[in-house]
Amino acid sequence: MAAYPHPGRPHPLPTTAATLGEALREQGVSRRGFLKFCAATASLMALPPTLAPAIASALEQARRPSVIWLSFQECTGCTEALTRSFSPTVESLILDLISLDYHHTLQAAAGTAAELAREQAMHANAGEYLVVVDGSLPGPRANPGYSTIAGISNLQMLRETIDGAAAVVAVGTCAAFGGLPQARPNPTGAVAVSDVVRDRPVINVSGCPPLPMVITGVLAQFLTFGNLPELDEYGRPRAFFGQSIHDRCYRRPFYDKGLFAETFDDEGARKGWCLYRLGCKGPMAYNACATMKWNGGTSWPVEAGHPCLGCSEPNFWDAGGFYRALSVPAGDTRGTLFAAGAIGATVGAGAAVLARQRSAAAKAERTPVTAAELEQTL
Amino acid sequence: MTSVANPAIAPGATEADLDQTTPAGSFSLARGLVAWREEMDAAVAAFFSSCVHCGLCASACPFYVETGDPQYTPIHKLEPLRLLWEQEYTLWGRLKVKAGLDQRRVTDAMLAQWEPLLYDSCSMCGRCSLVCPVGNDIQYMIRKAREGMVASGHAPEGLVAASVRAVTTGSPMGLQWKTLEVQIKHVETATGLTVPIDQPAADYLVLLSSMEIINFPEYLEAITKIFDHAGVSWTLSTQCFEATNAGIQIGSKDIAAQLVQRVVDAAEALAVKNVISPECGHAYTAIRWEGPNVIQRAYPFKVWHIIEVLDQLRAQGRLQTEGKEDDRLSLHDPCNLARKSGVIQQQRRLMDLIAGNFVDLKEHGEFQWCCGAGGGVSSNERAEPLKLAAFKRKKAQIEEVEPERMVTMCATCRTQLEEGLEEFNMDIPVVGLTELIADHLVEKG
Repeated sequence: MAAYPHPGRPHPLPTTAATLGEALREQGVSRRGFLKFCAATASLMALPPTLAPAIASALEQARRPSVIWLSFQECTGCTEALTRSFSPTVESLILDLISLDYHHTLQAAAGTAAELAREQAMHANAGEYLVVVDGSLPGPRANPGYSTIAGISNLQMLRETIDGAAAVVAVGTCAAFGGLPQARPNPTGAVAVSDVVRDRPVINVSGCPPLPMVITGVLAQFLTFGNLPELDEYGRPRAFFGQSIHDRCYRRPFYDKGLFAETFDDEGARKGWCLYRLGCKGPMAYNACATMKWNGGTSWPVEAGHPCLGCSEPNFWDAGGFYRALSVPAGDTRGTLFAAGAIGATVGAGAAVLARQRSAAAKAERTPVTAAELEQTL
Repeated sequence: MTSVANPAIAPGATEADLDQTTPAGSFSLARGLVAWREEMDAAVAAFFSSCVHCGLCASACPFYVETGDPQYTPIHKLEPLRLLWEQEYTLWGRLKVKAGLDQRRVTDAMLAQWEPLLYDSCSMCGRCSLVCPVGNDIQYMIRKAREGMVASGHAPEGLVAASVRAVTTGSPMGLQWKTLEVQIKHVETATGLTVPIDQPAADYLVLLSSMEIINFPEYLEAITKIFDHAGVSWTLSTQCFEATNAGIQIGSKDIAAQLVQRVVDAAEALAVKNVISPECGHAYTAIRWEGPNVIQRAYPFKVWHIIEVLDQLRAQGRLQTEGKEDDRLSLHDPCNLARKSGVIQQQRRLMDLIAGNFVDLKEHGEFQWCCGAGGGVSSNERAEPLKLAAFKRKKAQIEEVEPERMVTMCATCRTQLEEGLEEFNMDIPVVGLTELIADHLVEKG
């Protein structure tokens, strides 16, 4: 790895250190700073704080794991997000200090040499390496020509690469759920990694882009405990995707009080009221932005005054307008609603006619009550 | 009656069998179910399907609140009607019955079990209907459910007897015109005024309730004085003096229609412009609201409660009063008048005329609590203990504001208040509002 696209980082990080601990120390990361990171990681993974030293010790001892990074139908936004921290952070150092053996955006090698590096890494670390995928890929029934690398289709490359992988991490919403390439009308027949990988654990780190801390958190857990985090129903690490943006949003008290910004330049917007009516998807978006924020904890979309797009959720591109409030149904539902209404009205009218007939029959059949009859019962 | 396929009878039983096991006379389970099917309208279907089982109606019902017995939850009192609706009027219910998955049936035993729930523990006060969050008019359905109870022979003896007397003698208490005539003579002697009888084209036809004629003769004296004072053209009718309607209470629209028709015939015979319901709650709702529906035509006259008429006279400046009662007075709103008919401010404006120290009960007007005796409960001897239990809510309300006297405008409420307060040794007399007004009229100079 010779190319380092970090504007704030003066020097590349050539390292010969065998373990993460040594490498970090070599880079001038203090023990204190490192432990802070471990404590934060422990809390993010919902582990008790007493485990922070265990994480530290495991990370310090960990051999640099081999990671093969495959980029398919993607925009490089995920890589950018993960690598462009403002200043070197422990997360970015860890990312640097994994043995990133193949990443065609970052690596210097190109063409045959690059593919050779991938094959070498696969053979040298068979059964142990992690595969990180960003971007979706044309599915088995699509024309493979839509996306190829060195003449190899994405699908074929993925299948070859995961053969000896311990696990697959699908980074970004495209890899996790299909994302933008899969959005209607999905011209390339794009599918998510989990749609084609059935025989290896797939961890979905969704988001467009995902939070850098989430990927390092997953890596840290893998390195510390040798296992993979607990996943939610969408295959996402529960520790990071367990709570909705809405539930942890600092603007939530305004929602609870019914104070909403109605436009982007009204009084409510200036006062920082809830963005729900401007289309915020916070209530249905599960991610850690509200607690971890972006750019080293500087800010995040809602804090910057923009509603959450729900980018960590499946099909967020097709879930209606970004600026339509959630209570407005996503997409064009007029046809469906009309059909459902028509069917409902027909069934209802039919049932009403039957019920009326029953009541009318009873009316014709009923014998009026007379006082004489009542008297007989006394 | 027996020709209709009836999925709601007990398995294996024919309707002829049921006829033999049902109570005496020509009433039967099958006949009751036919009556219920006729009552099953869109409103009932909507109410049953929208009930969310929240139980708020329980906390609104004096019978539940004072006994704590869950069987007195208002919507539960309708369970047999609801079962019939589910099994005959809903798709799932019908499929379940057809597939044999639902073995429950509306039986005579069930109706016998529900008879005390539908009659003894419900005064049809309508408080449950008011609090229902989905707007179910439970009281309306109780009224309908009673139709089937009558037709299946499950009405309480006291109400059956009252209905028979009302139809055969013209009064639920068996009172004759000659008894009233004696009262009229007393009134005329005491006041020196003439009580007009059978005056054609009078502005107002005044009706009375048997309870007033026997227990509260001062009412007739009071309106005689007030109408003379205000120069109102009014009359009694020998053809019909009774305003109460046992048919409404027992829940038979056939009996109710007969009794309403008598009032209409008398009013039309004299060609009066207005009919005044006396100080009686259900008589007013019977003639004013249910009447045109049960006889299925509009009236050529208007119907008022006496309190409404008095308030109109007050507004026209025709009621000149002097002096005020100086003891602490409070008001009991009859359910039929306040909650069910919206007559709430009228009695308060009248109280302002004559009360110097008036205090309202905390929950009053449309949210008032029932005295516990309405809806036929007071005519049903079996309900006596429940009637007293339900009164405890009213008692608690009265204790909260500690009045020296209670004022009301319904003879049934008044009797219940008097009996209940006496039972609990509370020395609080109860008076009728009309009499209080009459006591304060400015003497003609």
